[in-house]
Amino acid sequence: MDALSPAVPRLSRGPVRSSIRARPPRPAPESLHPTLWLGHQLGRTREQALPSGFAALDRELPGGGWPRRALSELLLPHAGVGEIRLLAASLVALQRAGRLVMLFDPPAALSAWALGGLGIAVDQLLVVDTRSRPGHDGLWAFEQALKSGQVGAALAWLPSRVPHERVRRLQLAAQHHDGPAFVLRERAAVERPTAAPLRLALKPRGADLLEIRLLKRRGPPLEHGLLLELPPVLTASARQRAIAVRHAPALQPATFVDLGAPLDERLAA
Amino acid sequence: MLWIALHLPLLSLESFAATLASPAAAADAERALALVDAHRIVAANATAQALGVKAGLKRATALALAPQLVLGRADRARDLRALEPVAHAALAYTPMVVVPPAEDPEAAPHTVLLEVAASLRCFGGRAKLLQRLQAAVAPLGHRLHVALAPTAQGAALLARAQPRMQCLDLPALAVALDAVPVWLLGPGREHWDALQGMGLRNLADLRSLPRAGLARRFGDALLLELDRAFGTEPDPREPIGLPPAFESRLELFARVDSAEQLLHGAGVLLDRLVLWLAAQHAVLRRCTLEMQHETRWRRSSDTPRATCLELALAEPSRDRAHLLALLRERLGRLALPAPTLDLVLRADDIVRRAAPNAELFPTAQGGHEGLVQLVERLQARLGPEHVQRLEPVEDHRPEHACRTASAAPVDAPSERTTTLGLPAAKGKPAAPKPRRSKKAVAATAASAAMDPQKRRAPEPPPRRGAAPRPVWLLPEPQPLPERRSRPLLDGEPLHLVSGPERIEAGWWDAALAERDYFIAQAADGALVWIYRARLPLSAPEDAQGWFLQGRFG
Repeated sequence: MDALSPAVPRLSRGPVRSSIRARPPRPAPESLHPTLWLGHQLGRTREQALPSGFAALDRELPGGGWPRRALSELLLPHAGVGEIRLLAASLVALQRAGRLVMLFDPPAALSAWALGGLGIAVDQLLVVDTRSRPGHDGLWAFEQALKSGQVGAALAWLPSRVPHERVRRLQLAAQHHDGPAFVLRERAAVERPTAAPLRLALKPRGADLLEIRLLKRRGPPLEHGLLLELPPVLTASARQRAIAVRHAPALQPATFVDLGAPLDERLAA
Repeated sequence: MLWIALHLPLLSLESFAATLASPAAAADAERALALVDAHRIVAANATAQALGVKAGLKRATALALAPQLVLGRADRARDLRALEPVAHAALAYTPMVVVPPAEDPEAAPHTVLLEVAASLRCFGGRAKLLQRLQAAVAPLGHRLHVALAPTAQGAALLARAQPRMQCLDLPALAVALDAVPVWLLGPGREHWDALQGMGLRNLADLRSLPRAGLARRFGDALLLELDRAFGTEPDPREPIGLPPAFESRLELFARVDSAEQLLHGAGVLLDRLVLWLAAQHAVLRRCTLEMQHETRWRRSSDTPRATCLELALAEPSRDRAHLLALLRERLGRLALPAPTLDLVLRADDIVRRAAPNAELFPTAQGGHEGLVQLVERLQARLGPEHVQRLEPVEDHRPEHACRTASAAPVDAPSERTTTLGLPAAKGKPAAPKPRRSKKAVAATAASAAMDPQKRRAPEPPPRRGAAPRPVWLLPEPQPLPERRSRPLLDGEPLHLVSGPERIEAGWWDAALAERDYFIAQAADGALVWIYRARLPLSAPEDAQGWFLQGRFG
């Protein structure tokens, strides 16, 4: 036995034999270093992740929330699927901590009242709008904000065809950024690779419901999508109606009465 | 008394090199440069000397030796302007700063003297002080010869003869000075030939001669200077003062068209400005860079003679890198009407305040300053109107219910704190020690409560029971096609799930809106906000029907 294992250092004289017999089990790799993890486990980071406010989503995100110092890519079929309501809880948490939220090139005008309704303080929000300017100043501005490291959360709507290198550059800049950085892109970008360590596809699934597919994360792939209940826009009764409408298309015409149409047409309907 | 002498042996060449104003020349230090006065070379840099160019050559001879030689005119005023920031840098360490006249009355002075005996303790001793002094002057890019001696004249002579010499008492100084060549003395200059003929090479030789004879032959001035250098006669000096306003000029060697080249010249001026600010513990709020154009090259008579670029800072600063980054962005956007010949930098508005405390750990205050600098940088490049904040307006019409305002009204210097609409500096809970951060929060919250000037945008009150509003609003309501009186979006029918919410407003400002709003569900399940115009039938066709107003993001 001794001859077979010469590499074991002889630490003390007494219990040598027993220590060789009961060789300590190899430590799990994930216990060696906080950034080590196995392929079937969820990735971990040294940084505390920012909870998203949705327990089902937090369970599946590496670190238990939106990662700091890294890009998170959200793919949307179009603006207005519930992306702001998805992020609102984490943005509000950052603003409560006195951090600033910056938006870069939002796709449409923002309503201050709607943001206020979600709890987002508009005086801790800056909008950088470069769509009317030529060139790629939006990417430059986003990169500057990430590099400064003073912004709480940064959200950027990228133009349709962004070279892969630019995204990689943004991901490198995000390492200086102490907070989540969201990149919102259109659905077609799913065909192209990304440098962001987290990539989600968002899809509306009815009134105030959002389906999220985790396309890329540090961890095993997730087969099924997550169905999240967003902060409601509709009242309970309107919601019932919306669900009914969605599941019973035959009832559609009855839910709508056109008050502006002439009487005989209404009767015919 | 302890004097430090800073001697700049290559000042005139370096001040000329700064005017070349091309980044290539700055990077390529090996370019052959020489200065000409009255058709004779008066100074040449190392590269030119390697090619055989030396002082005293005729201009044509020098050009024959080195055709690539860049020749400039020796300019006393330019050298003086370049020496000024060195003196200002020294003023940060002692009020007693002297710029003695050059030994050659034709040339500009090349030496700055500082009396530092009273400052040694404050700055942590001789070595530390010298280190800081050299670091302060380093951005100007001058070659420095430094000497330390108990007399002013002695230090000046040593800096030129034996740089890096440090003599702390008079006997040591006397030993060091004895080896100094006589031609460094100012009054002895016209007698240089006679002195050499008599075999007098250094000060020791002079001192060995009888004083009465020396005075008779060469005048009292020579003896007086000797005595002052050796400390046997008092040497009263008049300290320089700091000019109350800053205005520095850089005459460029060649016409400059590009922003890159302008930036190089502006960087030289910024260095001077930063040192002037540091000497009086001030920070900059506003400055102007004036680019004077060459008259001949102006396209037409109505082209302005000069273009002024005003730089206003939201948070006063004297951070050179930040100022230069702002200038770079602003110059990049500027279209110059004509090539530039002269650059003038003026400080219009400064704030005198104590230097900020250096920070070991990241703090909320540092974060706030970084944020202000970020916004300034973005605005410098994109224009202030592209960095916006939102302001809710009390109006029912969605297109009037929100206003965007430029983020930083920097023209309001009366407000001490930020006017950015940025969050006031608050404690970061992510600070390394939670106890510290709690304290910081309490302190800043208290200061915020006590500060009546702190202006915050009115917070939109949470509207309980109010109809929800979509986050995204289309800039123009998008007309929706109809099929059997039902609105279609992307060819699919919309299902109305909530509404109507009637909005009738705007009769007072000629933008009357009479609409019935509905929340509708699109085919893919997303919620949109649409309305039906309630207009009389006489209204134009395109103003009637269904419109898409916004999307619930």
